[in-house]
Amino acid sequence: MWWYVGKRLLQAIPVVLGATLLIYAMVFLQPGDPILALFGEKPVSESVKAQLEAQYNLDQPFIVQWLLFLGGALTGDFGLSYSGQPVADLIGRAFPVTLKLALMALVIEAVLGIIAGFYAGLRRGKLFDSTMLVVSLLVIAVPIFVLGFMLQLVFGVQLQWAPATVGGDASITRLILPATVLGLVSFAYVLRLTRTSVVENLTADHVRTARAKGLSESEVNRRHVLRNSLIPVVTFLGADLGTLMAGAIVTEGIFNIPGIGNLAYQAVLRGEGPTVVSVVTVMVLVYVVMSLLVDLLYAALDPRIRYA
Amino acid sequence: MRLTRRTRLAGIALVAAGSLTLAACGGGDGGGDSANNVITSNSIEPQNPLVPSNTNEVGGGNIIDLIFAGLVSYTTDGETEMEVAESIESEDNVTWTVKLKDGWTFSDGSPVTANSFVDAWNYGANPENAQLGAYFYYPIEGTTADGTIESGDTISGLNVVDDLTFTIKLKNAEADFPGRLGYSAYFPLPEVAFEDMEAFGEKPISNGPYTLETWEHDVEAVLVPNEDYDGNRKAQNDGITYKFYQDPDAAYTDVQSGNLDVLDQVPPSALTTYENDDSVQAFSEPGSVNSTITIPSSLPHFGEDEEGKLRRQALSMAIDREEITSKIFDDSRSPSTDFSSPLMPGYTEDVEGNEVLEFDADKAKDLWAQADAISPFEGTFELSYNADGAGNKEWVEAVVNQWRTNLEIEAEPKAFPTFAELRELVTNRTIGTAFRTGWQPDYPSIYNYLGPVFGTGAGSNDGDYSNPEFDELLVKASSAQNDEERYQALADAQAILMEDLPAIPLWNTNISAAAAEGVNNVEFNWQNKPELQRVTK
Amino acid sequence: MPDMTPLPGQTIYVAPAADTPLEETGTVDTSAPPEGQWKEAWKQLRSNWIFWVSAVLLVFIFIVVLFPGLFTDINPRQAQLSRSLEGPSAGHWFGFDRQGYDVFSRVIYGARASVTVGILTMLFVTFVGLLTGAIAGFYGKWTDTIISRIADVFFAIPLILGAIVLLSSLNNVWSNRGYWGGVLAVVLVLAVFGWPQMTRIARGAVLEIKSLEFIDAARAIGATRRSNLWRHVIPNSLAPVIVTATVSLGVYIVAEATLSFLGIGLPPSVVSWGNDIAAAQSQVRSGSNLHVLFFPAGALAITVLSFMLLGDAVRDALDPKAKKS
Repeated sequence: MWWYVGKRLLQAIPVVLGATLLIYAMVFLQPGDPILALFGEKPVSESVKAQLEAQYNLDQPFIVQWLLFLGGALTGDFGLSYSGQPVADLIGRAFPVTLKLALMALVIEAVLGIIAGFYAGLRRGKLFDSTMLVVSLLVIAVPIFVLGFMLQLVFGVQLQWAPATVGGDASITRLILPATVLGLVSFAYVLRLTRTSVVENLTADHVRTARAKGLSESEVNRRHVLRNSLIPVVTFLGADLGTLMAGAIVTEGIFNIPGIGNLAYQAVLRGEGPTVVSVVTVMVLVYVVMSLLVDLLYAALDPRIRYA
Repeated sequence: MRLTRRTRLAGIALVAAGSLTLAACGGGDGGGDSANNVITSNSIEPQNPLVPSNTNEVGGGNIIDLIFAGLVSYTTDGETEMEVAESIESEDNVTWTVKLKDGWTFSDGSPVTANSFVDAWNYGANPENAQLGAYFYYPIEGTTADGTIESGDTISGLNVVDDLTFTIKLKNAEADFPGRLGYSAYFPLPEVAFEDMEAFGEKPISNGPYTLETWEHDVEAVLVPNEDYDGNRKAQNDGITYKFYQDPDAAYTDVQSGNLDVLDQVPPSALTTYENDDSVQAFSEPGSVNSTITIPSSLPHFGEDEEGKLRRQALSMAIDREEITSKIFDDSRSPSTDFSSPLMPGYTEDVEGNEVLEFDADKAKDLWAQADAISPFEGTFELSYNADGAGNKEWVEAVVNQWRTNLEIEAEPKAFPTFAELRELVTNRTIGTAFRTGWQPDYPSIYNYLGPVFGTGAGSNDGDYSNPEFDELLVKASSAQNDEERYQALADAQAILMEDLPAIPLWNTNISAAAAEGVNNVEFNWQNKPELQRVTK
Repeated sequence: MPDMTPLPGQTIYVAPAADTPLEETGTVDTSAPPEGQWKEAWKQLRSNWIFWVSAVLLVFIFIVVLFPGLFTDINPRQAQLSRSLEGPSAGHWFGFDRQGYDVFSRVIYGARASVTVGILTMLFVTFVGLLTGAIAGFYGKWTDTIISRIADVFFAIPLILGAIVLLSSLNNVWSNRGYWGGVLAVVLVLAVFGWPQMTRIARGAVLEIKSLEFIDAARAIGATRRSNLWRHVIPNSLAPVIVTATVSLGVYIVAEATLSFLGIGLPPSVVSWGNDIAAAQSQVRSGSNLHVLFFPAGALAITVLSFMLLGDAVRDALDPKAKKS
């Protein structure tokens, strides 16, 4: 198994290279002159502009820019943002906040989604199942920028059950509301996936065998149906952590969370290649680690899958 | 297995409990605590290190303006007052002699001298230092047209006479030059700054009403009163904390829940309700930022000739500014009556020819028809905007709809995802459409709305407008001997713009602000900013 | 007892092909079950009321998408700013939005762009994702590695970030996109960053199916690897793929709204539910004039519901194990 883990980590190298090259190419192709934008609508001093372009290697061909970035990244230097701060510092501050937010969202969506999906699957076609269908539908159909805003107004401002914004204090209590909002869409996915798998597994042979062996209904459901139903759900959840972290842009804006989504969003708007690529690099690493974990979990959940 | 699981859960519970206590501690100093007279206000993370000559956006500007003191400062109404300067005098409006007050110091104890200013400006104008405010030195002799000097050189127009005196020689006569000197590019720097500007930009040593205590990136900047400061803007509170928001909606939510004292811009979503909201104090006053539509003179059918003028006038008169400011902006904008703002000294409602800014669908259609008689217009008239600016889409769509309805022409909005993209096309002159523009004054003067924007070859003249008659009136205004003469020249210059319409003035952004309950003395200045040093609670 | 004399040219007796029962079985086994499965599925579907409800709704939605003019005479881009935010009234059943557009007309005409974005993206993502995922999961080894890593490259780039950058990069090469160009650009962007998710789901399902007994059985009786993939593995892996596809169809329609909210989605000249929901967001705080939000959001919800129900019904019908008892 360690051989397998090592192999996967080695494979991460081309993924990181590919993703950074792809995003660097896109940022480079993006129309708009980031240095020009720094001046706002105010007049531009040409010599100052030239100096800044040289400072950020913007006068180099694109592939050179990318190689310079890579070279720096290998030595731990991710370059400077256009605000003159080391990108590594920016990410160092924003990453833990978003990671915490995304992990909380993941826990919320997994717990709620699996429980609700499991019971909806067991009681297929009953009231609970239909209610959950409507709930997941609403969650999917109402965009997060509307839903998040509504929840903030209701629970944060009017009822004051949870703090309405986060700001500099990214504690668990302050993150509860945004984490719930962030996890909502994925909750619908988890719910649907769990329900589907449960329905499928209820009639599977090994479940029938277990019943025939005389195990009690709840024990069969728990030990055989649920466990086997988790495989697609775990795949989804594993891949979802990265999506949650990156998809936090809107949520982070609504709840004023100084996280990585907003860092990247602002950097994209400003055409700040090094910051965007550094964030993407971090996201790729998160993703690689998570998909490795998912594949290992596969093996744990499904005895038929073995990795060599 | 079971054991491990339990221990793990216990661990999680502990972590959670820890954060709860932390949160409880943190909650206390968030705001609403009247015993401690620290005012919180909204801002955004500064985009540049806090060096005055490198600060050209609001996040950095908010802090810089409160921690530095320049030669002059501005009153709430925009009048210029001497601050560090004892006097700024000139015989010919070309060579100015600046005398400093004695006894000013930076927060590290070093004195503020003539060299503090001259060295700072030399640093700012040196392209090697890549300062975004370099442009502001362009009026001084010895700089290029874009305000820079040869690297390693100094600005030849600056001469230090003694510790408290220096002279400034300009390229041309400029009567209101002292009025510019309160802009951040003209602030002084202490000697220690030049040793390590990077470190200085993180924690500046300054001479203003406040000093920067901490700057927690992306979260907040804490300003404490500077005990040694004895200028025009002395702190009336125990400090100011700027909290950084990416989204004004979140800031408004914080004002409602008492976590933020002063919010200088109410988000669009609250505009209809904030004045009736019991949980906040509401402010609504005229402001200084204006919005315009620039139509490049290089666009076919929109040159500086009879046809172009007719079309511009038609487009202007086909816009119902009253209706848009009321329906789209909930009266948070006021229709323009000139190219500047009612807050500016010398403003008049009666600029000759400004009826072209009034809605008249029939006249507009008639003017367009006259232009068509000269050379028929075909195709779609597009108005470009950047979609990353909040609220742009709504008004652009409304304006375009009115053109479609009132002029019966094809007109469409054209969205660019980022400001950078729009700006590049505008600067390269390749945009090929009309586009949104706006102006926030650098110093309180009508001249600042005209010279840099419409003067021939001026830095922000994005539409390449050129009219010698207009340029002449600008020079006349610059060299005028008294206010009355200057204001008249500026009004005459605006009358020419009303006829040529190089840009179509739309509206001025009102100050729509909110403060938490129990906050006193909230007043807004000519920059649409609250005078935070006077706010108490 | 057949005659077992060796035929001319043969040294020992070999039965003619027609008489070989084993080969006969093999042929039946590779062709008959899929046919039977789909036939069976259709039978199942016909008896499921959920299928009929969703089918009727979808037919209605498609009529609206194709012939919006049947439902309203009002031009959705004709603004009467003076009637901004007016509530529902006779002739204007859904009232007016902030720009003074007729909301009913906007909802009708907005269906086209929104449904097209959802369906095209879903088709593209499902096709590419199913194909790559099935191949990766089925063949394993290097094929799996290469496909999975390429998918990782795209998946690791966050959708919204990638979308912003890609959409504005597109402006460089394709700036005046018009109506269908604008729609296609959004589809392209959503699909480019969306397919790896489907790849993962499909791969997971295939891995599971691959280890089931009947696949081994099919191989034992001589099915080739490729026919095994097409005839057994893919059809049996479809259930999670269909469920994800129908749920994600709604998500893509909503993603278009989010892109519009961030100002980079469909151009403002395109009437779409997403553009309208984004524009209506600011009404939430005041809590007044919510009709501008309610109607486009409701239309979107009904559309998403129809696809989800259809997906559910199809899945039930396709899954031989989940027969209703």
